[in-house]
Amino acid sequence: MGSSKEEITVAERNPNQEVEAAREAFEREFERFARFTGSGVDISLNDANTEQRALAELRTKHLGKKSAIAGAKKLIGKVAPEERASFGQLVQQTEGSIAQRIDEAEQSLKSLIEAARIERERIDVTIPGRRPRPGHLHPITLMRQRIEDIFVSLGYAVEDDREIETDFYNFDALNIPEGHPARDPQDTFYTTEGFALRSQTSTVQIHAMQRRGAPVRMIAPGRVFRRDTPDPTHNPMFFQVEGLCVDRGITMAHLKGTLAEFVHRLFGPDTKTRFRPSYFPFTEPSAEVDYSCFNCGGPGCRICKWSGWIELGGSGMVHPNVLRAANVDPGEFTGFAFGLGIDRTCARIYQLDDIRLLFENDVRFLEQFR
Amino acid sequence: MFISYNWLRELTGTKLSPEEIRDRLTNVGLAVDAVADRSDDFIFDVEVPSNRGDCLSHIGVARELAVIERSQVSIPKSEVSNVSGKTSESASVEIRDVDLCPRYAARIVRNVKIGLSPDWLVKKLEAIGQRPINNVADITNYVLHEFGQPLHAFDLAKLTDRKIIVRRAAKGESIKTLDGVERKLEEQMLVIADAKAPVAVAGVMGGEFSEISNLTTDVLIESAYFNPSSVRRTAKLLGLHTEASHRFERGTDPEGVIAAQSRCVALICELAGGTATEDALDVYPKPMQTMSVALRPARVEAITSLQVEVDEMRRILSALGFGLRAEESRALSFDVPSWRHDVSIEEDLVEEVARHTGYDKIETSLPPAHHAGEYHESEERKRALRRALSAHGFGEAINLSFIELANDFELISAFNAATSVVTLTNPIIEESSRMRQTLLLGLLNSVRHNLNHGIREVSVFEMGRIFGSNEKGSLPLERESLALVATGGIQEADRAQPAREVDFYDLKGAIEAAIEAMNLPPLTFEPATVRHLRPGQSAEISANGARVGTMGRLADLIAVEYKFRQPVFVAELDLTTLLEMSPQPVLYAPLPRFPSIVRDVSLLVNRAVTVAELAKAAADQTPAHFMGATFVGTYEGEGIPDNKRSVTLRFEYRADDRTMRDDEVDAIHWPVVEALKKQFNAEVR
Repeated sequence: MGSSKEEITVAERNPNQEVEAAREAFEREFERFARFTGSGVDISLNDANTEQRALAELRTKHLGKKSAIAGAKKLIGKVAPEERASFGQLVQQTEGSIAQRIDEAEQSLKSLIEAARIERERIDVTIPGRRPRPGHLHPITLMRQRIEDIFVSLGYAVEDDREIETDFYNFDALNIPEGHPARDPQDTFYTTEGFALRSQTSTVQIHAMQRRGAPVRMIAPGRVFRRDTPDPTHNPMFFQVEGLCVDRGITMAHLKGTLAEFVHRLFGPDTKTRFRPSYFPFTEPSAEVDYSCFNCGGPGCRICKWSGWIELGGSGMVHPNVLRAANVDPGEFTGFAFGLGIDRTCARIYQLDDIRLLFENDVRFLEQFR
Repeated sequence: MFISYNWLRELTGTKLSPEEIRDRLTNVGLAVDAVADRSDDFIFDVEVPSNRGDCLSHIGVARELAVIERSQVSIPKSEVSNVSGKTSESASVEIRDVDLCPRYAARIVRNVKIGLSPDWLVKKLEAIGQRPINNVADITNYVLHEFGQPLHAFDLAKLTDRKIIVRRAAKGESIKTLDGVERKLEEQMLVIADAKAPVAVAGVMGGEFSEISNLTTDVLIESAYFNPSSVRRTAKLLGLHTEASHRFERGTDPEGVIAAQSRCVALICELAGGTATEDALDVYPKPMQTMSVALRPARVEAITSLQVEVDEMRRILSALGFGLRAEESRALSFDVPSWRHDVSIEEDLVEEVARHTGYDKIETSLPPAHHAGEYHESEERKRALRRALSAHGFGEAINLSFIELANDFELISAFNAATSVVTLTNPIIEESSRMRQTLLLGLLNSVRHNLNHGIREVSVFEMGRIFGSNEKGSLPLERESLALVATGGIQEADRAQPAREVDFYDLKGAIEAAIEAMNLPPLTFEPATVRHLRPGQSAEISANGARVGTMGRLADLIAVEYKFRQPVFVAELDLTTLLEMSPQPVLYAPLPRFPSIVRDVSLLVNRAVTVAELAKAAADQTPAHFMGATFVGTYEGEGIPDNKRSVTLRFEYRADDRTMRDDEVDAIHWPVVEALKKQFNAEVR
């Protein structure tokens, strides 16, 4: 019935020509996509997306249910049996080649889009990273912590006490008698009530011995005050570390050994120490301590003012009067004490040429230490 | 002090090179800072310890060198060939204050010819930095640098009644000193006066009137011992520091008065001609007692660890001038030489032996272990605090402890109304005469400093003592304080992030993080009026119900004073109180086994209603399975009336044994919301 009528129509239409026409139509419309399979294609991401959509439409048009190829496929069963095989082959070949061409173009477009998208999302890896603004500890804190760590590991307790003191702790107990130049208001700050701003952390020695008795090993880092007019090498306030070791049988050898160990740990194992006789009211014998320059190691340079040595601080064997003032029997106990400037050590290590910077809190200065 | 190598050679015949002398003197405690190479001499710059006044002369230094080299010091001869008459026939000396002037000796040389000094003398003085004047003045100066005894030459003719009276200055007296300055004298100052008026400030400087001039023929040479403290006080009051006062302050040799004077007189007779009196008019009513100090040789090793033969101890000490008085089986007793005011106990002698044996000979060893080391009890928490704040972008500042008055600032509550400021009698920076009661002033100065240098991002904190007066006669209060200040952009500008200005919550967040790092319970922040803070952006901070500090935006009035044109946020906390609080134990809490159900609610409330109030009101209703209400956000602006704000909270519900159903949660949740609506007159948006 209907089918025989169609068979006749198809036969009249020449199926081979139909397929050929479909192929030609595809080729015409595909031409603009052919370039994507080549290399060095320059296309924007937008255009590529448009072309991808157009290519999908092309596939529907030439391979979809309503396409000429689909129509030709339906004819396969209707052509003469002797031609059926070759016709079927032709249709299949044509369909296959169209599909392949489209697939290739699609694949290339996909790669192009992928590449364009990656390019679009390229970032500049050299822009500095995102982070909270970093804070910094003050160089004096950093130095104090290093010093504390060393002495705690050597068996010392860290102590502190008042900054405003009575004359007893600031002077009398430290064997600084009435009339001694150190007590002069020229050098020491006094409050209207007659108390002194401690002029050395040695005051803590006395408090610590009174609290702990002997034997005792302690260091006292802290603020001290002296009436120095601010200039590049002076501040009216600075930081000191006082050290004290009192026990039976303590000698100057232990003082030397302890400070030698300290400078080895702070400045490196090759650092040498030198002890020079000196005078401090609270020690007898007394010694000034120098260490070999951490920069040049001895021959002399700008940092050690060409002497090879840098002053660490004062030291000595605790004066018997000081022990007595703290109720320690100098007949039974001996001890050594030392004091060094944290600010000055900072200034040396960081090569600070003006120590007033330490208390100006210029952010550009503070940021340099870690 | 300058010491000439040639001069030392004359005194000791030293065989050491200048470099060797530098090192050896340094090793015995006379630090040589520099050696200057002059055409025919070397000059040492010697740093003499303040208790070694006896080394402020060539003979003093030579004595140390002689002990080092085991040689002798040859004291120059003082033979006067041309003498006639007794000094007392031509002048009189009266000491009215023996405490301030234990000894005064005068001697006269007549018919001197004032003129220039011979070349050798000029050269010697110039080598050690002294300016030649005339022969008599130069000789007194020369002997000062030789013996360490300051001398003064008066023009005898100018001394009224040829009287020397050593007394305290009378009220209203003044003197024109050698430097041409008219100086007012005070009653505590010791002067040398003639019958009429002061002619010299004792031990400090002579007067211009009685100065040696080209017309002078007869000179009176003063050699005396003055009380060190008295000279120090006078010199300080007058603002005068002279070669003479420098030595008298440190103590000269009371027994060396005559020897130096004789040397001076002999040189005058030799170089300026003239006839000297036969003797000195020496007023010395209470001669100094010689002190003797015992040394148990075993103590040398006990204190220094040096093993020194007793013979060597004896040699060192006697070469230094200590006379062996007695020798017993276990102790030696030495007379202290009159020039050594620094020696009074056994340890002083141990030091003499040790420094001349050599500190470098002392071995190096660590004391035997005894204690375990320990940090200050607050150190661990302070370190945690510092770390947390620096991790939140705060730099650590340190300011001087002295400030100007801080009237505009509300102080921490530990300082009550009765606490006043601690004031210094002698500030060094004029306007900073008070001990800080708050750290904020220093930090605001730091902000100003940075802004003035073009840095507008400043986030810093400081930890330090603050001070307040106590009951009368008691030591001032000292407390530790923690203060923070933040202004400018919160982020670094040059980074992959948008710029944002710092605000209240940045500062609050840093404080919260710091408290957490210290392992303390969370602080509470409540709106409060604080004198130095801007109303509406200020909070009172409390811990366990007690106020521990304040924070907020700096009040406009203060900001204007500092010329701040950008908002500045500040906080100050009583660190002492925080450090006294017990840290919270860290205990594991089991993890929930079932998920929470959350409900977000936006409530339109009055602007004054706080998130803390809302959350607390919700919790106060103790709804079942309620885990708390947390802050999500606020919204104000379009669609919201001016006096209102929309606050979005997240309510969390959780059961321990099951996943809660929505209808179950709603049944609990909505009554809570209804209650809040009623309590705060709120609407749900």
